[in-house]
Amino acid sequence: MDLTAPAIAIRDLNKFYGTFHALCGLSLTVRKGERVVVCGPSGSGKSTMIRCINQLEEHDSGEIRVFGTLLDDNLASIDAVRREVGMVFQHFNLFPHMTVLENCTLAPILVRKTPRAVAEALALKFLEKVRILDQASKFPGQLSGGQQQRVAIARALCMQPEILLFDEPTSALDPEMIAEVLDVMVTLANEGMTMICVTHEMGFARKVADRVIFMDKGEIVEEAAPAAFFEAPRNERTRLFLSEVLAH
Amino acid sequence: MTALPAAPALTPPARRFRRLRRDYFGSPASALMTLASLGILLGLGWWLMNWALLDATFSAAATQAECVQAGGACWSVIAARWRVILFGIYPYDEQWRPSFACAVVAGIILLSCLPRMWSFRRLALTWGLGAAGFYILMRGGILGLSVVNEQQWGGLPLTLFIFVATAVAGMPLAILLALMRRSELPVVARVTGWIIDTIRSLPLLSILFTFAIVVPFMLPGFLIGEKLYRVICGAALFFAAYQAEIIRGGFQGIPRGQDEAAKALGLPYWQRMSRVLLPQAFRLALPATINQFVVAFMETSLVVVVGFIDLLAAGNTAYKTGEWKFAYVEVYAFVAAIYFLFVFGLSRYGAYLEARMNAGHRKE
Ligand SMILES: Nc1ncnc2c1ncn2[C@@H]1O[C@H](COP(=O)(O)OP(=O)(O)OP(=O)(O)O)[C@@H](O)[C@H]1O
Ligand SMILES: [Mg+2]
Repeated sequence: MDLTAPAIAIRDLNKFYGTFHALCGLSLTVRKGERVVVCGPSGSGKSTMIRCINQLEEHDSGEIRVFGTLLDDNLASIDAVRREVGMVFQHFNLFPHMTVLENCTLAPILVRKTPRAVAEALALKFLEKVRILDQASKFPGQLSGGQQQRVAIARALCMQPEILLFDEPTSALDPEMIAEVLDVMVTLANEGMTMICVTHEMGFARKVADRVIFMDKGEIVEEAAPAAFFEAPRNERTRLFLSEVLAH
Repeated sequence: MTALPAAPALTPPARRFRRLRRDYFGSPASALMTLASLGILLGLGWWLMNWALLDATFSAAATQAECVQAGGACWSVIAARWRVILFGIYPYDEQWRPSFACAVVAGIILLSCLPRMWSFRRLALTWGLGAAGFYILMRGGILGLSVVNEQQWGGLPLTLFIFVATAVAGMPLAILLALMRRSELPVVARVTGWIIDTIRSLPLLSILFTFAIVVPFMLPGFLIGEKLYRVICGAALFFAAYQAEIIRGGFQGIPRGQDEAAKALGLPYWQRMSRVLLPQAFRLALPATINQFVVAFMETSLVVVVGFIDLLAAGNTAYKTGEWKFAYVEVYAFVAAIYFLFVFGLSRYGAYLEARMNAGHRKE
């Protein structure tokens, strides 16, 4: 891990599902501290792209480097990257048989070898940050969707990652819960966390993104600062997509 | 407080009464069914009570003629022969040893059922000490105890020992087989699948025969070991093949996101399995697992075909000698009651576990 290298450097990435070409020669560089929002129509490969970054999906060709570490067949480098890259999922994926606190301390204790007391103190700190401290001893099944997603964010933060990946963190939530999750994400963004966020929350993109990326059919079609992206999209497909999303 | 207004709110007993009336006497047909069922139940109960208690003979000294005269159950056979039923051909003067051994097994089973014992160290300690205690008591050879070798073990302690040893050896093997069958390496997954399917396609009887009689011809002398332990190996293998499929079924009920979340947190394979996936797989597979334990307990009685006198076989020998030939129903009832006690306890414990595991989890 070389913290002076770009946080994420993807070059000419290709990914096939069988014969289906899901990512077509995609390249992307994300600097440390940068906040990138990724949007695009369903099936355009957004999830596939960010899941390649922590190798939940294996890519077929091309190069992915995370802080200089090349992701290849070397399992040690995959482990090293996963320790530094946190992920928040659409469906939360909390461990249902553990309490909120245990969810948050599991990986720090097992992976980072943090002493239990230290890990618990850290977990409580992050649970407080996502404003859910009072639920620490409950089980995930006893929480609302918005609360679960905030726990999932705290769980990822407990590993003290350099980068956070979000895959549509609010799209499984009821409208009244979206705001509470976005608030937490805005706070993180303002603190300088490196983030890649797949979302259709355009208000969030406008507010915190350094760069907005539009993907379609496995390619990056357009990338620009939010102001330029929303006011003056250059590509026809982007314009069509924006008119559909913003119409709602 | 006593002068309640005539409000529609009913006291709980009254509400229960109204429910009973609605559920069982709601229509003439259901009233008829209820009365008929009650009649049959009462009749059966009355007959059973007469047979088992009121008209029964209990004295160990009673003869067949006295039993027939009384008209009810002849529990005299149990009074006279219970030591054969419980301990088989274990030397008569040493039978205090299998009694204690049974108590040891029952004790460690009960202890392991307590949630506060569920740590690897505590369980390993309990089972290590328990197994050693059982073996020393049964086998002897030290502490001034005479040697009683495995061929002479019998009855309840033998049944318990075979069951517990089968489960203790079979469960880790089952977990291993289930994990190998889910392996990402196609060769490992396929070969494991073949092994499991092969074992499952053989009857337990043939496996027991093979391990008791055929295996000694194939192994070098020092590996053959005591027949009892070979038979347990066979039973454990059989148990593991079925239990592995049950665990795999549990795995299939876990959403894919669970493994992905664990991977994303950087957990290595063994920790993903032991901390995240296996606990959930077992929770989903619990009813089928309890079922498998019940079946394994019943199947211990098959060891009679390779020459072991388990509880059921000991019961058979108990009434087959001369004067008690007529009293087999009573012997079987006694043996059945012992099996019932264990299996009923097992299924109640399963229900308790399920309730406990569901306590903190709300299903969406
Ligand atoms: N495991 C898989 N097997 C086969 N095809 C897949 C698999 N996962 C994804 N795909 C296909 O790859 C394409 C890109 O999928 P991906 O999930 O990355 O899209 P997405 O942009 O995240 O869409 P959404 O907005 O619906 O989440 C889709 O056409 C999808 O059908
Ligand atoms: Mg997606």
